[in-house]
Amino acid sequence: MKPENPLLACLALAAGLLFLSPVLYSVWMSFQTTDAYYTGTIDFTLGNYEMAIGQYNFARYLLNSVIVSGLVTVIGLAVATCAAFAFARYTFGGSNLLFGAVVATLMIPSHITLIPNYLTLAKAGLLDTYAGLVLPAISNGFAAFFLRQYIRGIPRALDEAAYMDGASPLKVLRRVIIPLSKPAILSMGLYIFISEWNNYIWPLVAIGKEDLYTLQIGLARLYRVNPGEDIINWPLVMAASTITILPVIVGFVLVERHLIRGMMMGAVK
Amino acid sequence: MSAITLTDIRKSYPGGAQVLHGVSMDIQHGEFIVIVGPSGCGKSTLLRLLAGLDPCEQGELVIDGKRANDMPPQDRDIGMIFQNYALYPHMTVLENIAFGLELRKVPKAERLARARAVADTLQLTPYLDRKPGALSGGQRQRVAMGRAMARECSTFLMDEPLSNLDNALRVAMRTEIKDLHRQLGATIIYVTHDQTEALSLADRVAVMKDGHLQQFDTPDVIYDRPANRFVAGFLGAPAMNFVPADCINGWAGPHNVDVGFRPEALTLHRAPVSGPSIAARVALTEMTGATFIVHCESEAGRLSAVVARGDGLPEDGEDIWLSLSPSQALCFDAITGDRLDHFNTAQRQAGAPCAVAPA
Repeated sequence: MKPENPLLACLALAAGLLFLSPVLYSVWMSFQTTDAYYTGTIDFTLGNYEMAIGQYNFARYLLNSVIVSGLVTVIGLAVATCAAFAFARYTFGGSNLLFGAVVATLMIPSHITLIPNYLTLAKAGLLDTYAGLVLPAISNGFAAFFLRQYIRGIPRALDEAAYMDGASPLKVLRRVIIPLSKPAILSMGLYIFISEWNNYIWPLVAIGKEDLYTLQIGLARLYRVNPGEDIINWPLVMAASTITILPVIVGFVLVERHLIRGMMMGAVK
Repeated sequence: MSAITLTDIRKSYPGGAQVLHGVSMDIQHGEFIVIVGPSGCGKSTLLRLLAGLDPCEQGELVIDGKRANDMPPQDRDIGMIFQNYALYPHMTVLENIAFGLELRKVPKAERLARARAVADTLQLTPYLDRKPGALSGGQRQRVAMGRAMARECSTFLMDEPLSNLDNALRVAMRTEIKDLHRQLGATIIYVTHDQTEALSLADRVAVMKDGHLQQFDTPDVIYDRPANRFVAGFLGAPAMNFVPADCINGWAGPHNVDVGFRPEALTLHRAPVSGPSIAARVALTEMTGATFIVHCESEAGRLSAVVARGDGLPEDGEDIWLSLSPSQALCFDAITGDRLDHFNTAQRQAGAPCAVAPA
């Protein structure tokens, strides 16, 4: 396909390479031995990946990240979709006030809720558990707001047709609203998944047991200079980083088309 | 027992004006009822109350002998066809038609068979695997009808189902709807603002204005004996002419009445004639096909007359005389607009002449 404006195409290519180069460099570096990296030579190896997965337990961290991010995404989407449906379709006493409160939560920095959440979960005995990682993240004000706006764009006559066909409100949500909101839900799902995947602070606070570490915590540990060593093993760090970003890239590629459509929503009439 | 009985139905939306002011109707099983009126008269609101999509708080709604004010839509045995069809865009034609049966837990084989049979009746079989986005307006309209038909409801509500179609398709679909009504024998309540649809489809027509039911009767009665000036003017194209009685020379009837007569009741003359007539000047002539509409200016205002083609049309600006038969004239109270039935009867019997002063 011939680009419409060659100059713009060159600029876009240059910008793409600029953004991609650190990632490509880190992937390249992850296949080098430590000695080769520090001496500036080339020595291809898979040892860093073996070390990250075997010695540094990254397989376990990867599993933890998948479980936590997956649960937060699925439960968070379910909660946000139900809330969005209720806010989009039902008017009840204080509904506007309640929706305002949900939107207001977007203005609260997450770090402010860190200590109250920690104390709550400590009292509930949920620290050092998957539930402790998942529960504080499942109510997502932004997702509820985003999906509510999308659902409001779906003609109400479709709900009414389904009610006339004999559907209950839950059936309307499941059979009509959710299928028609798929682009927005997938976009929001990817957004929640990536946010949770990259979450560092909360797992750091809530988890002490090494078995429950997520990738971000495990990755941070590699930056420390180990006893008896005087340098950071950067190829190992890059191998662990590659393991960390790979699932996100795969996820993005899988839902990219829907993500773009979802983001276009509201931009044009 | 009536299929649907509405008694003193009133509706107002929170913070808004009252939309319905005590509507009462008694609808029999198998009747084709058309609710007609201008935009904002409350006809769609009435339909939504019947469907159960809006709560019916004041008055009483009885469906098949059961009070239905608080009955949810799915329990009313009513199918609805929406103005914009409201087809599920993510489902195929077959799935759209079968969806209502699926929700009612009809076994898969049976619901698919029924959906296919309905699609066959509506000539939709070649499109069963298509999604609504790949159908024409007429096909979508049929799917919407099929969706309601598959459930075999006793009553169908149709909210301006033909308003999004072009004229040719609208006429064709009108005939199909009438045929379907004969085949199904179901009660149909049809909302439209198109008076041609109302008169051609209905067994009985309900004319509404500003949330009030103006008249509820057969098309013949509505057309020939309208309850008031609004009904007389709303139904019929071109609209009925109204002339204040005070403008009529030698008027033998009561004063302070408006005399109404249909455009087709007027006869054009190029010279003064004896008997009831109106002197006027031709302003504009419109061809409608088999007939012409002649718009004239008179002292009583603008009048329309329908004349057949080939009857020697007058030129624009020409002075003419319009004669009318008293038996085809109706008298309306000049203040309330109500038809003065006692006078109309007397006038018909006496053949009283009426003449309007020339412009």
